[in-house]
Amino acid sequence: MNKKKLIENILSWIVLIFFAIFIVVPILWMISTAFKTEAQTYSPTPIWVPKPITLDSFKKFFNTYSFGKMLKNSLVSCVFSMIICVTCACFAGYGVTRFKFRGKKQLMSFLLLTQMFPSVMLVVPFYSVLSNYHLTNKLFGLIIVYAATNVAFSTWMLVSYFKTIPIELDEAARIDGASSFRIFWNIILPLIVPGISAVAMFVLFSGWNEYMYSSVLLSSDDLKTITVGIISLNSQYQIKWNDLMAASVISSLPLVILFVCFQKYFIAGMTGGAVKN
Amino acid sequence: MANLQSRMEKYKNKRYEKDGYLFIFPIVFMLATLIIYPMCYGVYLSLFNTNLVNKWKFVGFKYYIEAFTNPDFYSSVLLTFKFMILVVIGHFVVGFILATLLNREFKGRTIMRVIFMLPWFFPEVVVALLFTWIMNPMYGVLNDILINIGVISSNISWLGTKELAFPAIVFVCIWKGYPLVMTMILAGLQSISKDLYEAAEIDGAGRWKQFLYVTVPSLKPILTTVVILDSVWWFKQYTQVFTMTAGGPGKATTLISLGIYKTAFTDLRFGKGAAWGILVFFICYLISLVYKVVLKDE
Repeated sequence: MNKKKLIENILSWIVLIFFAIFIVVPILWMISTAFKTEAQTYSPTPIWVPKPITLDSFKKFFNTYSFGKMLKNSLVSCVFSMIICVTCACFAGYGVTRFKFRGKKQLMSFLLLTQMFPSVMLVVPFYSVLSNYHLTNKLFGLIIVYAATNVAFSTWMLVSYFKTIPIELDEAARIDGASSFRIFWNIILPLIVPGISAVAMFVLFSGWNEYMYSSVLLSSDDLKTITVGIISLNSQYQIKWNDLMAASVISSLPLVILFVCFQKYFIAGMTGGAVKN
Repeated sequence: MANLQSRMEKYKNKRYEKDGYLFIFPIVFMLATLIIYPMCYGVYLSLFNTNLVNKWKFVGFKYYIEAFTNPDFYSSVLLTFKFMILVVIGHFVVGFILATLLNREFKGRTIMRVIFMLPWFFPEVVVALLFTWIMNPMYGVLNDILINIGVISSNISWLGTKELAFPAIVFVCIWKGYPLVMTMILAGLQSISKDLYEAAEIDGAGRWKQFLYVTVPSLKPILTTVVILDSVWWFKQYTQVFTMTAGGPGKATTLISLGIYKTAFTDLRFGKGAAWGILVFFICYLISLVYKVVLKDE
């Protein structure tokens, strides 16, 4: 029995390491390139550990390309869209799981339908909608677009979390005379914090990832988000791979750090509800 | 007395029904202003030959009818299907293997989980550029590694060759997208009670049978939704493929979203682009229906 277990362990480590190579090697290559000079990137035999290590690309990131501002724009649009999206999704998730009302089923199917429109096709209508509300070229416009495009998946996930909380809890509080909102806010919501945080992170990731809406809906340089900034480096006449990779490293870092800090919470959150449909 | 009670009950239910509407009001408001209106506007656009500025010519359903006979549309949809199927299968195979392994108790599990989640946190454009750089025909590290281990003998232009560009983007899209599927499967696995496996073992079920009769049925509810979303998300994939190949070489990687973007924003034929977009919507809808029938989900 023990021997069998040992073999199993070794096998699973071999498989894990095999897959990990595919993940880690590209990332190491990105980091290594970021610390190179331009000449080093064009060495005929690829250099893994650049000598000397240079920080020029990182300095350029903030000075020449003013990526600092773009980081800030990305952060602002992600965080605020996350807040709006998660708030709406919490209300909707509670409403859908706790009350009977007409149109509930239609609402849930419609949420899934919204995921089927290609964003390429929505981008023109979004532009015209935002110009109706005088929101083009404002971060707030982008924020509500991100919130709207993510709200369906968030609600779908939160619904499954709300379902894990027994309805008897609501009923007990109701007998004590609490209003629906009070029950929602003071009793149920605190119980699904892990679920909410997992969903919140999901919305953050997808906002941070987003490129197309941001590139079309915002035209002023001051408002560019980080993904648009990186692509604009790519379309220059000669691509400076070291600068590009430095920008990539820095733009990926916030999410990696966030995840490493909250990873326990995140996985627990995913576990809590998502499954018990 | 009983009558009064049932009336009270009715009154109470009515009140709570109203509360239900209050709770969904924010999302309905948001969907109405930001999703339904743009969708309708998209449908409206699709009926016009328009550049959005000075040309608005009503053409009715011309673009829809044309699309069915247009070889560009046809071949592009076919290519996208091939792409989607390969990517989704890739996500689920990798996701299943890793989730099963990461679900075991072992030292270093946390760090392994973090490593396998990493692709999720890199923006799509970053992943696309990173692999463009790795697959660079002159200075790319992939060619160097493969030459060193003796798989190839001379440099290959991965993204510049017709036959290789498509597998290359499929690989990169699997690389970027599997963590979500893996996480969902992992979450699902952790919620399956150990008793079920023990019971199966007592009944004499081997590993494979346990997987087939315990794991798969328990995961089915969540996996149905994940497979639908994963499929329609990647069917519509644009950013990553556009950044890597811009649809080339030739038309080897022109997925339907890239075709729509080009039609709308390069050729400035917004009506035609919108019509194609709506057809993609129907295709995605059909995909979800097929899954629901096949997986017998309510």
